[in-house]
Amino acid sequence: MKLIPQRFTEPNFLLRLLVIWRMVFAALAAGGILAAWLIAALPLWQQILITAALGLAGGFSLAAIPDIRRRNHRGRTISLFVDYLAFVASAVILLSVGNVFVGIDALGETFSRGIPALGVILLGYIITTTSEFSPRVNTIAPGANYLDIAGKWVMLAGAAYFLLAVQAPSGLLYFLTKILQPAGLLALVGVLVFGLGLWMMGNKPVANEMGSHAHNEQMLSGWLFLSPNLLGFLVFFAGPLLLSFYFSFTDSDAFNTPHFIGLANYARIINITFRPLSSATQLAKDLVDIKTYDEVGRLIFGNTGILFAAEDKFFWLALKNTLTFALFAVPLSVLPALLLANILNSKLPGMKFFRAVYFMPSIAAIVGISLVWQWLYNATVGFINYAITLGVDFWNNLFNAGLIDPRIQWVSDEKTALLAIIIIAAWQTMGFNTVLFLAGLQNIPGELYEAATVDGATPWHKFRFITIPLLAPSTFYVLTTTTISAMQIFEQVFILMNPPEGPNNATITLVLYLYRSGFQNFKQGYASAIAWILFIVIFGITLIQFKQQRKSGVYEN
Amino acid sequence: MKLPSYRLNRFISALVVYTVLIVFAGIMLFPFIYMLTTSFKLPADTFRYPPRVLPRDPITTQVIGYTDALPLYYVDDHGTQKEYALARSNIQVGTFAAPDSLSATVEKYLTEVKPTGGAMTQKTVMVNGKEEKLYDVEANGKIVPMVLLSTTTVGEFVDPQNPGVKLYQNVRLSQPVEKISAHPENYNDVIALQGIDRALTNTILVTILVTLGQMATSVVGGYAFARLKFPGRDSIFVFYLGTIMIPFVMFIVPLYQLMVVIGWTDRLAALIVPWIFTAYGTFLMRQHFITFPKEIEEAALIDGASRFQILWQIIIPASIPALATQGTFTFLYAWNSFLWPLVVINVGNEKNHVLTLALNVLRGRASDTPNLILAGAAIAILPPLIVFILGQRFFVESVASSGVKG
Amino acid sequence: MKHNVLWKAISLLVVAMFLLAACGPAATPAAPAIDVALRWRTRPDNQEEIKVYSDISVGLDTQLDGITLAYEPGGTEGANYQDQLRAEVAAGTAPDVFWIPGTDVADFATRGLILNIAPLAAKTDGFDVNAFYAGPMAHLTYNPEGAKSGADSGALWGLPRDVSTFALYLNLDLIKEAGAPDPRELAKAGKWDWNAFLDVAQKTRALGPDIYGYGASAWWGPYGTWLNAAGGGFFNADRTACALNTPESLAGLDFQRSLYADFDVATPYGEDPEPPFRAGKVAMFQNGRWATPGVRTVPFNWDVVELPNGPQGTPGNWLFWGAYVINAKTAHPEEAWKLVQALTTAETQGKVAALGANIPSRVSQQALDAFLTFTPPTNNQAFLNGIADAAKPTAEGPLWAGSWPEYDKVVGPAVQSVLTGGTSVADFGATICDEANKVFTK
Repeated sequence: MKLIPQRFTEPNFLLRLLVIWRMVFAALAAGGILAAWLIAALPLWQQILITAALGLAGGFSLAAIPDIRRRNHRGRTISLFVDYLAFVASAVILLSVGNVFVGIDALGETFSRGIPALGVILLGYIITTTSEFSPRVNTIAPGANYLDIAGKWVMLAGAAYFLLAVQAPSGLLYFLTKILQPAGLLALVGVLVFGLGLWMMGNKPVANEMGSHAHNEQMLSGWLFLSPNLLGFLVFFAGPLLLSFYFSFTDSDAFNTPHFIGLANYARIINITFRPLSSATQLAKDLVDIKTYDEVGRLIFGNTGILFAAEDKFFWLALKNTLTFALFAVPLSVLPALLLANILNSKLPGMKFFRAVYFMPSIAAIVGISLVWQWLYNATVGFINYAITLGVDFWNNLFNAGLIDPRIQWVSDEKTALLAIIIIAAWQTMGFNTVLFLAGLQNIPGELYEAATVDGATPWHKFRFITIPLLAPSTFYVLTTTTISAMQIFEQVFILMNPPEGPNNATITLVLYLYRSGFQNFKQGYASAIAWILFIVIFGITLIQFKQQRKSGVYEN
Repeated sequence: MKLPSYRLNRFISALVVYTVLIVFAGIMLFPFIYMLTTSFKLPADTFRYPPRVLPRDPITTQVIGYTDALPLYYVDDHGTQKEYALARSNIQVGTFAAPDSLSATVEKYLTEVKPTGGAMTQKTVMVNGKEEKLYDVEANGKIVPMVLLSTTTVGEFVDPQNPGVKLYQNVRLSQPVEKISAHPENYNDVIALQGIDRALTNTILVTILVTLGQMATSVVGGYAFARLKFPGRDSIFVFYLGTIMIPFVMFIVPLYQLMVVIGWTDRLAALIVPWIFTAYGTFLMRQHFITFPKEIEEAALIDGASRFQILWQIIIPASIPALATQGTFTFLYAWNSFLWPLVVINVGNEKNHVLTLALNVLRGRASDTPNLILAGAAIAILPPLIVFILGQRFFVESVASSGVKG
Repeated sequence: MKHNVLWKAISLLVVAMFLLAACGPAATPAAPAIDVALRWRTRPDNQEEIKVYSDISVGLDTQLDGITLAYEPGGTEGANYQDQLRAEVAAGTAPDVFWIPGTDVADFATRGLILNIAPLAAKTDGFDVNAFYAGPMAHLTYNPEGAKSGADSGALWGLPRDVSTFALYLNLDLIKEAGAPDPRELAKAGKWDWNAFLDVAQKTRALGPDIYGYGASAWWGPYGTWLNAAGGGFFNADRTACALNTPESLAGLDFQRSLYADFDVATPYGEDPEPPFRAGKVAMFQNGRWATPGVRTVPFNWDVVELPNGPQGTPGNWLFWGAYVINAKTAHPEEAWKLVQALTTAETQGKVAALGANIPSRVSQQALDAFLTFTPPTNNQAFLNGIADAAKPTAEGPLWAGSWPEYDKVVGPAVQSVLTGGTSVADFGATICDEANKVFTK
């Protein structure tokens, strides 16, 4: 049965081969570095990146040689790591050369034809699962029955139908023709060679020869299991995060080479000034250098006041609007949620229905929901103003009063624009918070309430001295998550307001300003600086909430 | 005496409780109801004031003597309401008065009066310091020269059964006869208008791939964090924990630049691949796996099962609820995301639009037809809602449990 | 158990593998292309416009040898059409030829996003800059180096697709019902001024709480006309500084404010007036020629009339224009230039104009006569009167000395604040230019 002669799978032979392979690997890495500098015309930072990556890989590869010779397990670990990373890299290159990533677009075109097939697969799956409720038939293999088998066949047929429907065969052919080019073949050879390297070092006899123990195996599977997530995370999140920090010190515009400009971005943002006003209507240009500063706002005390001016007034307006939004939207979505959760926690019939209803807004697409509210807010034919008109008329008829119908221009009046956004946000997050509170309430032991009732406590006392302290963890969680998402308000504003900044910049928010700076004006360095300041603000608020939570924790004891 | 008052109290408190609940339920549901009913309306029906919830169509009828079907209106015939057909509109009516008694007005069709002294040589009179033209108006059987105070228009309404019977009144203020109806073709129209079908396909594709991919990497990653001991694990875990705190907007600028470098701007891959690797999902999975009893695993290890077999055959089947919760979260997130697609997918490349982007374009392009916009919104909102309604009980409960844990 | 899992694993794996492999097919290059493929884009406001341009694209595709055309409708103004284009040009994914509003030409040109086609134009037989309206061409031939315009300036940034101007779309039924004078008659008699306008607006507004006398969208075009008509304007004469705080500008803004606040005749500022107009609730709707295809479907009698004359005796209208420009990174500049020319021939412009969305940008009596026949509206002359020299229209234009988008971002919200009652006209005048002048670099 052995396809390969025994002596080729003999550990010592494989290890000798591996020592050579490690040298070849290092040589290849060195060659790659040379090629990056001499042959390919790459930007400097890419050359540096390639040099660092290949240099490390080559260096480790060489360093593993003495360990492998000494049958030290460290050599095996290094060897596996280096080959694994190279294997993954060539596999990604192979897929990339085969246009697999870019080609997902094409799948968008054919995918719809495959959707019925996905239904068939689902059907097959349902059949298989229902088999658990049908009587078992002994004649077939244990653990299976006719329904089970039939379901699987349906699933397989569905899969095959799906593949045909989305034109998988021609896609596969295309993939093959693509990788038959030099770059594709090189990557394919890479995949095979590094795969072979992995197999040589990974197989059991070699592992034993290298003195592998259970904890070594656990270590290797740990890294292996974590690797898909970790690698992707490093490439797509951790790396960009560092990059973002660097960009915030540059004048990056996404396409040209960024220049390091030190703290200039931050300096522009935090360049603010306060001046006392001699009268409430004094003009800003009499007090500050209007070439540098713009008035952001003024605090008036009677006849005097303080003028607040900043170099970048939009940032400070955005910060003000964002904080105002959070200040109102968070209580408006948390307090009713607390009330509703307490009501839903009673054992009256129908509570599950209401719970489901309250939850619905939080799963709807914000973009779609904002469009709906846009028409509800319509100043001339919207339902909200109609309801207000009805209410005013009713009141006036009832009390013979002279209330005037306000005819609110919800989204086009600077006084109500932010309020309109606050209402939508509260509406949308309230139900989610209700469910979280409800879960917290259900964790409070009922005996506490019973004991309190025996002691003659009023419902308010029970709420004040049992519910609130014991609900503190839920409250903390709800408050922090709601605040963090409130600080990132963007979509509602972007869809509902035209322009998104709203009347007189009433709804410019930090994320909106970040978007405008980074993706409309392409000051991406500046946008990165805004992002970091936003992060610091959110972090600070969360820290304060955390401290509050600790304090109430002390109270609990 | 105590018992009835106790019952009354309970009744009142239940009444209050249900009132509060129903009021909130109404607030929560109304936008959805409005969206659905409006998406079945005709455009004209959406700009009506006062607004109405249900879609309605005007009714037309064939009247003898008229080739086209005429719209039916409610008319006021000497105090009784009747359904008449509008045969002619824009008939001008003038309010006339003699120059010496302006308060005694007469209403006449403009076709019934003639300029005093002929069209070319019309006589005039001074009224309140202004020169006004005079018309010959018949009043009480006499022809009197009068001035024109104001004009307006009326429509000619005919009795559909008896076209000879005519009635004149203001058309705009007349109530049309309508029936409740629905226009499901709005959905076809919006699909044709904005390529919503392609956007829907793309959204489904992106959502499926992101959900499956993210589940796969976070399950194995979470398992490694929860169950496998290896050097560096704890510091990486702390690092993961730290990044969960970081708001998403931190990433859009550098991630966009990364996409520019690797050529994925304007590609669906940019909406899929980065979101397969999340710290949060891995963290949630780890939190779940850590509660799984170790003994079962150790027994399997002794039996010679590999780590992968343990994960696949023992742990995953036992973790379906946790997986389903996380899967649903990912599903919703991928389905509803907007800022990242807005940044990375070009507005002109409608082939790669997802639903949220298509809606963003649609709102500008169909701003005259809220029925179409809301039909588009319904297409984006309903699929997750249906999934939710089908599995709501299970879903809400697991959200509650996972939320507090996280 | 094992059996079960194996099956699932197999089916999953097969699906996953082929799912990835399925990605390729549409990326397969079609038969080796002999034709040069060009993409071009405009910013359509509605479905009617998309259809017009799609048809044009198909027509030109057969007409131009060696070029294959693909038209793509861009986003609407609200969807950041120009911002997206900037990003796409920079990222290298923008179409070869695209339309941009006249205000944005300088921004695109100074950022190096569009091609200077003067060298190509110089080699083209029979091409004449003066065949187009002078207003747009002065901006399109502006050379920042040397700061001069004209056929020999050494710069040509694009060709104007069309011109347009504001008119008031009238709901004749409402005006008749209100017994208000017909604005068309007043205009013919030379009595169509701000007072007459206000009279019609008030009479129609009196018909009911949901009927409005006047409606205009919230952007620089509509509010600019009131400023212009009062003798003011956005900029000083050489467009190097803000002039929003002059008494004339403020008087124009104040009259517009009174339409919203004092007389309450207008649809709420900031809310789109087109839906209520099409629903028959607005008597006079201020919009450009581009709104005509959409208005043609309304169920009431309608026509257009010129904007009313302001205190200076002119309506203060705009000469709107937008231009087809060429992506600076296009691989086929020669073919793109051919396309730009083909898109602006008298024939193409006639076709587009026939569908109602715009006015030809070539100055010729023939084109103007043809335009008059493209009815409804019956009173097409109102548009021509708006751009006639006698009406002294202000040509829409970019800011070579600064950034128009930035200027707009400063002024638009401030004007909205005035028109919705947040700021007084005096406060606006006291501060606006300090802020707006910052966008000028020189």
